[in-house]
Amino acid sequence: MSLTVSAETEHRHDSESQWAVETHGLTKRFGENIAVNGVELLVPRGCAFGYLGPNGAGKTTLIRVLLGLTHADAGTMRLLGHPVPRHRAAALARVGAIVDEPRFHGHLTGRQNLQILAAAREPEAKLRIGPSLERVGMVHRGDDKVSKYSMGMRQRLGVAACLIGDPQLLILDEPMNGLDPAGMQDMRDMILSLVAEGRTVVLSSHLLDEVERTCDAVAIVDRGKVIRQGAITDLLAGSSFVVEVECSEPSRAGQLLTGTSVGGRVEIGPVGLGITLPAGTGRDVIAEINRVLVDGGVSVYRLQQIQTSLESWFLQVTSRLGAPE
Amino acid sequence: MTTTSDVIAAVPAPIPLGHAPDHRGSWIPTGGMIATRFMELRKRRGLMVALIVVTIAIPAVFLVIRLLTHAIAPKSYGAAGGEDIFNALVAGVIYVFGFIVAATLGCTAGSVDLTEGMFRHLVVTGRSRLALYLARIPAGLAIVVPLVAIGFTIVCAVCVFAAPTQVSYQGANVPAGLSEAGLAHWANDHPDEVICNFNYQGGSGVVTTVLNSNAVPCNGRGGGPVIQKGPGAPTVSAAPTPAMIRTAAVLMARQNYPAYSKVFLSPSVGLMIRTGLWIELEVAVGFIVGLGLGSLLGQRTVAVILMIVLEIVLTPIVVRANIPHLINLQRSVVGLAVDHLEPSDLGFVFGGGGGPDGGQGTSLLVPESRTAAVFVIIAWLVGWTALGAWRMVKRDA
Repeated sequence: MSLTVSAETEHRHDSESQWAVETHGLTKRFGENIAVNGVELLVPRGCAFGYLGPNGAGKTTLIRVLLGLTHADAGTMRLLGHPVPRHRAAALARVGAIVDEPRFHGHLTGRQNLQILAAAREPEAKLRIGPSLERVGMVHRGDDKVSKYSMGMRQRLGVAACLIGDPQLLILDEPMNGLDPAGMQDMRDMILSLVAEGRTVVLSSHLLDEVERTCDAVAIVDRGKVIRQGAITDLLAGSSFVVEVECSEPSRAGQLLTGTSVGGRVEIGPVGLGITLPAGTGRDVIAEINRVLVDGGVSVYRLQQIQTSLESWFLQVTSRLGAPE
Repeated sequence: MTTTSDVIAAVPAPIPLGHAPDHRGSWIPTGGMIATRFMELRKRRGLMVALIVVTIAIPAVFLVIRLLTHAIAPKSYGAAGGEDIFNALVAGVIYVFGFIVAATLGCTAGSVDLTEGMFRHLVVTGRSRLALYLARIPAGLAIVVPLVAIGFTIVCAVCVFAAPTQVSYQGANVPAGLSEAGLAHWANDHPDEVICNFNYQGGSGVVTTVLNSNAVPCNGRGGGPVIQKGPGAPTVSAAPTPAMIRTAAVLMARQNYPAYSKVFLSPSVGLMIRTGLWIELEVAVGFIVGLGLGSLLGQRTVAVILMIVLEIVLTPIVVRANIPHLINLQRSVVGLAVDHLEPSDLGFVFGGGGGPDGGQGTSLLVPESRTAAVFVIIAWLVGWTALGAWRMVKRDA
């Protein structure tokens, strides 16, 4: 998936814009602290988009700015092609969002809370309350008071609150929080089904495994800045990978590979080698490793290319490893 | 039957640029918003119980106890109703506590969306924040105004239907509501009661003769004071005849009729209507100011405390203490303004309100014209609504 912005598209600012979310130079400060620092973000329509970052990176703040929950100090933004905050009402009419932990009036039932939210939307929203509860698996608990709900049930109710607006764009902030494994699976399936319907889902999360399984594209935010964005496959293709070699004499195998044209960083373990190769290394290098070892008299039992996971890649590119972009 | 797939099936059509559906950006709240806000407040069980207890239960229990005690021992306990009871319950209970519970409801309505996390959901709908705020006003008033009306109606009903059957006029038990002729007729039948109790304003030789003769035994009660001696020197003559005594009683009754006609068994319909409207004004002010304060502070407890302090500490001091250098500041306090709109015939429960002088300055209140009072009330309502709405519009959600 390409996220390249053509000049033509850049100037096509209408509701048919290809971007569900588009920000340029978006900045939000809290005193001296810059929570969102000149963010350039493009979220294509009709995909599941992961918005990743360590705690305190500014993920939730960006979402709050996008939704008009707080104002931006600089920059421009568009939701579904509508410039916000100028056309905020039109933009949010087709947006559903969970920000932080979903909280509701505890003394009311889930259905009554949805009635309050539906009343603030278009008249048809009221008709979607039942189906929304059904879709999130809450139809049998919809008439219980929210104060009796578990965290996971409130998350589901939060998603139902998004669905009553029949959104084109859903922005979900840590939707897996509080869900048990089955609930996470349900949530994952629901997100995928929403995307399959042509909706756009922006998933802010620190659960990299979930994002990798659910999303088509991601943006990595660190210290308030988007430092990488694109399709997951494209991003991972541009990262280093590891070749694991299980062999008879690991120490000698390491010496054989040192100084050859294979390159990379060799780590010697008790039963073999781990060879980290830079991004863009061709498959013939793996064959070359095998040839060098066999020619050197080392028995090779297993040789496997390990693709970098999103988590490994995330740790590489964020400041957690001391390598900020 | 509507199914999930019918209602949420495929991505909806895009909305044209700049076109918000259903006037979502409008500051005018929809009926649905008001109705659901009403529901949200009505479902707060503790708050509703407090509202009902204060506006309905306390006056009702008080009246029931009076009805029972009067039924059991009518000579020891007076009638449950009557104008005095009306004054005490309306101005002593419903007025003060009605304001406090209305303010509590307002502070709740103004702050709970924020404290309970719903404000964020509502803002994300794209609905105008001003409309979200304004929806709370009719919703809250739709709760507190009928509750106060019910409590007030109960008080009115008991005060009218359980009013005393006789007026205690200058120590004599006189049937209420008599015409001048009726009072004269009653005096003719009860001359001793009249001569021993009613005031005599002079001008009649017959009355003077009867009073000076001590022909009517008053059993130590004494006769009514002779305010002005009539013409002709009092003469001690033969004991007055029963006919002279009855004539004297009738004359005294006619003299006393103007004062008697101002004594009511129960509040008049006009007084009840004016008082009811005044009480509703008071609770509406309490609710709207509380709503604005709750929204401004973003939390309920402090807002409620401040409203209680305003009503039962600050206002009583400000409305009575005439401080020349601060008098205009005092006049800007809403409690004083509302007190000045108190029906003039309600009695001096709060130092007079408009009072019998119609706000001419003889009451205990810091003087203020009714026009100024109306403007002060309007300024408070508009000002606090603007402050609360401004905070809601500008607040980070």
